[in-house]
Amino acid sequence: MKDAEYYKKLGFKCGLEIHQRLATREKLFCSCSTDLENDMKVGTVERRQRAVAGELGVIDRSTSFESSRGRSFVYNVFRKSSCLVDIDEEPPHGVNDDAVETAIRFASAFNARIPDEIEPMRKEVVDGSDPSAFQRSMMVAYDGRLQVNGRTIPITSIFLEEESSGIEGQSGGSVVYNVDRIGIPLIEIDTDPSIQTPKEAAEVALRIGLTLRLTGRKEGDAVSSEVQRGIGTIRQDVNVSILGGTRVEVKGLQEIESMALFIENEVERQLRLIELKKALIQRHAVVDRDTKELTDLLGHEKGRIIADSLSRGGIALGARLQGFAGHLGAEINPDRRLGSEISDYARMAGVRGIIHSDEDLQKYGLSYETIKVIGDKLGVRKGDAFILIVADRQQCEKAMKFALDRAAMALSEVPPETRAVADSKKGTTRFMRPLPGGSRMYPETDALPIEVRSDYIKSITQHTIYLDQRISNVEAGLSNRQIGEQMVYSQHLPLYEYIISKVKGINLVVATTLLEKLKELERAGIDTNISRDVFVDIFGRYSKGEITKAGIGEVMRYSPESARDVTRIIKEKSLERISGERLRKMVEELTAQGGKDIIREMMSRHRLNIDGEELNKLVGDRK
Amino acid sequence: MYSEEIRALFEKLGIKVGDTISVTSGQDMQEGILMPRTGAGGSDIIVVKRKDGYNVGIKYKSGTKVSKLSESQPHHFLFPKASASVDRSLERIALLYTGGTIGSKVDYVSGGVYMLTKPEELMHEVPELGSIANIDVHNLMSISSEDMTYVEWQKIAEDAASSLNNGAKGVVVTLGTNTMHYTAAALSFMLKDLNSPVVLTGAMRSSDRGSSDAFVNLICSCSIAAKSDIAEVGICMHGSSSDSKNIFIRGTKARKLHTSRRDAFKPVNSGPLCYVDINGSIEYAGDYRHAAKSTGKVHAQTGFDPKVALLRTHPNSDPEVVDHYVKKGFKGLIIEGTGMGEFPTSPSIKGLSWISHVKDAVESGVIVGGTSQCVFGRVNHTVYRNLRVLEDIGVVNCEDMLSEVAYVKLGFLLGNYGSKKARELLGQEIAGEITNRIEFKKDFVE
Repeated sequence: MKDAEYYKKLGFKCGLEIHQRLATREKLFCSCSTDLENDMKVGTVERRQRAVAGELGVIDRSTSFESSRGRSFVYNVFRKSSCLVDIDEEPPHGVNDDAVETAIRFASAFNARIPDEIEPMRKEVVDGSDPSAFQRSMMVAYDGRLQVNGRTIPITSIFLEEESSGIEGQSGGSVVYNVDRIGIPLIEIDTDPSIQTPKEAAEVALRIGLTLRLTGRKEGDAVSSEVQRGIGTIRQDVNVSILGGTRVEVKGLQEIESMALFIENEVERQLRLIELKKALIQRHAVVDRDTKELTDLLGHEKGRIIADSLSRGGIALGARLQGFAGHLGAEINPDRRLGSEISDYARMAGVRGIIHSDEDLQKYGLSYETIKVIGDKLGVRKGDAFILIVADRQQCEKAMKFALDRAAMALSEVPPETRAVADSKKGTTRFMRPLPGGSRMYPETDALPIEVRSDYIKSITQHTIYLDQRISNVEAGLSNRQIGEQMVYSQHLPLYEYIISKVKGINLVVATTLLEKLKELERAGIDTNISRDVFVDIFGRYSKGEITKAGIGEVMRYSPESARDVTRIIKEKSLERISGERLRKMVEELTAQGGKDIIREMMSRHRLNIDGEELNKLVGDRK
Repeated sequence: MYSEEIRALFEKLGIKVGDTISVTSGQDMQEGILMPRTGAGGSDIIVVKRKDGYNVGIKYKSGTKVSKLSESQPHHFLFPKASASVDRSLERIALLYTGGTIGSKVDYVSGGVYMLTKPEELMHEVPELGSIANIDVHNLMSISSEDMTYVEWQKIAEDAASSLNNGAKGVVVTLGTNTMHYTAAALSFMLKDLNSPVVLTGAMRSSDRGSSDAFVNLICSCSIAAKSDIAEVGICMHGSSSDSKNIFIRGTKARKLHTSRRDAFKPVNSGPLCYVDINGSIEYAGDYRHAAKSTGKVHAQTGFDPKVALLRTHPNSDPEVVDHYVKKGFKGLIIEGTGMGEFPTSPSIKGLSWISHVKDAVESGVIVGGTSQCVFGRVNHTVYRNLRVLEDIGVVNCEDMLSEVAYVKLGFLLGNYGSKKARELLGQEIAGEITNRIEFKKDFVE
């Protein structure tokens, strides 16, 4: 069984980096809107980037790798959510104070130390995801901790940084990014690598996420939420290593549910690669750097992939991998092989992938004769494998170099890598870039350091509500435990808290309406974008007996924009509550008319206008 | 700068910037490399670079313990030898360094700016240059362009002329961008009988970031210097916000029109002379002076009279400033009027008319040239009555000349030809600064 003992034996180490977008109105270093809805693209700019030496005069291995890919980057620029700062055409403005305040609030939630001065840094990124070729990032706290299931997980550092841009597409030598989201403030929470099992990693991630969502700013009786909600607003990176393996970062996990699977697979992948290394060494495997051009041999082949590329003036290069036969195709993860790993590296040069001799070569339209001729030309003997790349010359040569680099690593190490999700269902990953080292940090000389005085921290923590307090407040206010728990996890929690701070004594009605009715309307495709003060108005009318509980949902259905709207909807849709004397009269009339099941008949006629409880009581009293 | 107290402490402990130290304050202990303290922020904060690469600041207060853990490693940027051996078939060009952000590196440990002066350093930063030309790097000076004076213009002109006379095919001058258009104008007037391209370039984003425009600007500028037959001084910078194409603008027709964008420089009242891309291919776009086959020498005529000023009229502007300059012995004034060049002539507040003051200045022998603060377009001295007055009192019509160019030109003329000839030449074209026709462009700021 894969329990804690199993992972301990493997020398399993695992740490998390949780990135969460903050809910500030503006970006971290400019005044662009962080609301990306309904924005308009206004143009594109195309840029090239190169690696520059970091603060210590060394070019980081991840940045020099990216630079050697020599790609160009295209940025889609948007009207409201991007400005000159975002496309590196204007220096950063002053730091967003709200974001700093939130970061400090979170630092206190994790009991972390806040330095006396926060120093904005540049973290070099040359994958193009930032037009400035760096991401602004600052360490806002360190040496924190978190309790999860009775264990203390050290929080090594907390950063405030800029969101990168989103990738839109990729074609040949250029990558297209959207800069609308770039510069939105992110908080990054890093744990130390003491997580003991994949399952625990998911629990820690869940707890960190909950802490970020529920640590809030007190505004009178209400609490304001500090983080964005929704798809893509929180991302989990996992660092995994085992003995004999290496640290690998799996980036961009969005769902906690599948986190354990990804980690289990990464452990498995490293185990397989270690085994593979042993086997290859035993077979005296060698990566033959002497590549051969095979264009002429493939000229007459009919397979679409090869023919297409060659007809566009491409070339074919081949290389022998001595002693690799059978190993390129052996599965190391579900549907992932050493061949896929090598292919990932080659793809970084813009090619579609590699063809290798452990594959079914017929599917590329290669005849038995051709395969033999290729083998002869490359000097392939029994036990050897070969790889083949078809693309235009420049790409092809670069891709072959990357591929052979990776093949050679199979003989010496599990390469330290940053990996991205390959298949979210299977929980598999693919190579993204070499794992960055420490040489890619240098000071952001365009932004001023931020002095953090202790009275400033105090003024923030005084207005902070922390996770445990908030949960117990919610649960204390709701007699129903299950509803209480649901409310804690609900994205409507801040709204709930706001409403019950204004309208007293109807907590359960508010909670169930937000948890059930709102969801129901959303599912029905109804716009439920109602301001919180209109919600207060609606629940206020319920509280005063003007409408029924069923009437609340009905008013919501028409998405009122103001209190006046609410009045209009109630009138137009005849949602006024019938109660007291009037209700009594109606019951009497119906009884006089010989009505049998009074309650049922009344409810079927006036479902939205009558409060069932009142009716029950009335009918009961008459009996 | 750290506070005196901290500096004294460092001295006592033998700590220098770059050493690995530990700073303990209460229960908090930080280890890392001591970073220099920049001007910004409180000076009682000690900044250390942690192992993870992040810097944090710790306040030095009573009870703070500082100790040295290890000496800084002497550190230099190690530049590998130029990978490409010198290709004799390539043209030889001179690259004149004058300062500015282009071509400099920040040494984050010492906090100083480090100039790239050796060709191999340059090749390491921008290896593409090795296949464009053989480049002689001349380290002329290290100065911010806002600090440049005519003395620096003279030095650059002389070095450019001697480089060309010694066989360079072209010259690239790297400099700060703030006053690049002034320098370009000065070189345009000073380099007589120029028969080669002289290309000014710089960077809007410092070259210590991977997104710097310096790389593309250098590649494009060296391409023009080595390959084009344009015998003019010009500015080669980005043509748009993209890294795709640079433009080469005549030195007397360029102006910085943006504080920070890569394409801050635009041609005014003319188009670019050519476009050039990162592969070095040049697309000629306008009329330009072609290099002749002759092997005549370039002559640097570098006289400059600094007693010239550039003024601007505006609502409520007090014309007494003109009297001040006259009194101070200035020999020339370029006055940027509004619109087509009008100066306040009969404002409602008495005493704010510039006319009598300018008239007095002209009569006392000061040369006054009129330009427009519109930047684009031509001044006119006949359309309105207020314009005719300027003509009457002897203001020289500077046509479609940029104010900055007119300013440089007047200083140049006074420095080389004396007052009489200077007045005569100010309104006449001598280096492409005045054109008789402005061609139509759909968008005039292009």
